[in-house]
Amino acid sequence: MATTFLALWLLPFAGAIALWAFGPSLKRWAAFVGSATILISFALTLTLATDAFGKLGERIDLGTWMPGFSFGLWLDPLSLLWTLVITGVGGLIHVYSIGYMWNDRAIARFFAYMNFFVFAMLTLVLSDNFVGLLVGWGLVGLSSYFLIGFWFFKPAAVAAARKAFVINVVGDVGLMLGIFVLFAATHSIRYFDVFAKASTLPTETVLLACVAIFIACAAKSAQLPLQTWLPDAMEGPTPVSALIHAATMVTAGVYLIARCAPLWDVSPEARALVGTIGALTALTGAILGLAQWDIKRILAYSTMSQIGYMIMGVGVGAYQAGIFHFFTHAFFKAQLFLGAGIIIHALHDEQDVRKMGGLGKKMPFAFWAMAIGTLSIIGFPGLSGFFSKDAVIYGTLERGYPLLYAIAIVTAGITAYYMCRMLFVAFFGTYRGDVADAALGMPARPPARKSHDEESGHAPAWLMQAPVALLMIGSVFAGWLWLGGRWSGYFSDDFVAKPESAIVNFIPEFTSTLLVLAFVALGVAIAYRRYGSFDATSAASERLKRESLRMPAALTRALYFDDAIEFLFVRPARAIGRGFMRVVDPKLLDAAVLDVVWLVGWLGREARAMQTGLVRSYALVLVLGAAAFLAYFAVLGAPR
Amino acid sequence: MPVDISYYVILSAVLFFIGVAGVILRRNPLIVLMSIELIFNAANLALVAFAREWSNNAGHIFAFLVITVAAAEAAIGLAIVVVVFRRSKNVDVDEVAGLRG
Repeated sequence: MATTFLALWLLPFAGAIALWAFGPSLKRWAAFVGSATILISFALTLTLATDAFGKLGERIDLGTWMPGFSFGLWLDPLSLLWTLVITGVGGLIHVYSIGYMWNDRAIARFFAYMNFFVFAMLTLVLSDNFVGLLVGWGLVGLSSYFLIGFWFFKPAAVAAARKAFVINVVGDVGLMLGIFVLFAATHSIRYFDVFAKASTLPTETVLLACVAIFIACAAKSAQLPLQTWLPDAMEGPTPVSALIHAATMVTAGVYLIARCAPLWDVSPEARALVGTIGALTALTGAILGLAQWDIKRILAYSTMSQIGYMIMGVGVGAYQAGIFHFFTHAFFKAQLFLGAGIIIHALHDEQDVRKMGGLGKKMPFAFWAMAIGTLSIIGFPGLSGFFSKDAVIYGTLERGYPLLYAIAIVTAGITAYYMCRMLFVAFFGTYRGDVADAALGMPARPPARKSHDEESGHAPAWLMQAPVALLMIGSVFAGWLWLGGRWSGYFSDDFVAKPESAIVNFIPEFTSTLLVLAFVALGVAIAYRRYGSFDATSAASERLKRESLRMPAALTRALYFDDAIEFLFVRPARAIGRGFMRVVDPKLLDAAVLDVVWLVGWLGREARAMQTGLVRSYALVLVLGAAAFLAYFAVLGAPR
Repeated sequence: MPVDISYYVILSAVLFFIGVAGVILRRNPLIVLMSIELIFNAANLALVAFAREWSNNAGHIFAFLVITVAAAEAAIGLAIVVVVFRRSKNVDVDEVAGLRG
């Protein structure tokens, strides 16, 4: 048990070390080694899964830092679910990456980073204390930075990586402050001790800790107003977007709030705050998704929006609904990204949907991957997204937040619209790849630099298709776990380690489901009318050009969030830096050093006059000195 | 009849000041070296006189040490004078001011 547990945690780390050390000499085998570690780790997790169900959790000690501060790993149902998704979906994405990165010169480095990310993410979810969590929290941010900037010769990728890292560090600081508050109040860093005292703490303390922790969640999970890094992060390779920026890392905020459920349970203000921010993020992400033409950016905004749903769910206290949405989202969003990756690969790095069109016939497999993913994310009845999203939406009403309920339903309609828009524009009508950029209203683009050797053979197609096919099974059927009491047993009281946390496994009321479906149907219908129907597709180029040129600036500039951050933080920081450069450094710091230099020089110049070089004058000084010496004793008498 | 110590000390002081005056006032290096010898011997005279006065042999021994050091000093001093003379063809102490700051 303990050995298996340790092995599943450390295998990805061992893989990363091995690939860093021997990667270049392994060549393409590095990809298989990297994938094997994750798949073995997944298999080990499965062997533990049956044990960990319905128990408070298996704990192993790793060592003691200081008396009273022991570190350990904790496998309870919550961390088990995350571990299953990280290693399971992560393993599939690794296998997919073998095909996707087949011709990349740095394939070993890529898999080393990916393995390291999985290790960091496992550290995050398996730690049994806040400090271990913080370590994992920082390391996933670091691996995210490595992987967004993987193609470091693209300036946009480097800028995006830096931005993601800086914003994530804002979150790390928030988490640190939250840990300080909790430690000051409870004198412990272990979840178990902290949560046991949660209900006895003053409410202000709990609220403060919750807000600080939520800053971390907002940065990591791209919630308002720290979301701007996520769309830019799409500069990384597509499997990275699927694994880190869709399925696992960005949901760490959901995990943290679910893990800290006992804190949120005693602070209604924190609940309202987190629920509101989640709902607003869901709405904002959906609205911004309307304006995107880059297929990966559309998916990025939909990720932001769906994580908004999850945060709203766990925020208002509908924990199992929010977590269930994480579970299903991991399948269909990974599938959507990997499907998009197949298209991007086939079209030689073309990501703009305006240049696609008519791909349904050219790439039937990619079409079905994207179509099923889209249906699942918009909540088509019977698919997994339907169950989880419905549960989250109804959960807000059931917990007593009717306003959030309204926002969530509207967002569901917008989601249906923009996801179907992407699907119709990319797959319906005729292929527009040979239409000039200007004729589609696209801005001029610099020529892309290739990261891989041209046409040195392709990977077998099944390497990329098989993982997507397996994910399709999940995104179609995973939702049925919600029914039949299976999920309710899984999300027992132990799930959030809080006995009185009043977790009831609700089934959404039928009228609520119908209302959601009505909005979804409306969104799909409008999208079909505008992009999918025969009229729309036959004159697609002109319509797309007109729409591109008329797009409101507020949407193309992402509601000016970047500009606001630039204005509020970047410019003041630059101004302070310039102030230091122009005033404090030359006038204060450097000036002090220069004054000392001048003083020493002056002393030297003055002392120089004594060195006359005349031997006789030295002798005279010597005699006068001796005379003064004698005179001193002559006046004062001999020393006793 | 033992001579009173004060005569020795006065003679020693006179010799010392003649030496000092020679060092300070004369510009010929050979005269300066000779004046230094005078200072040494003034000191030696004082050492020996006091040693005899207080029957303490440390003064005698110290006088021998001073004679030895004076010999070494004279050798080095003359060597320096020869070298300086070879370089600059003059025997004026004031002209040898290469170390002026």
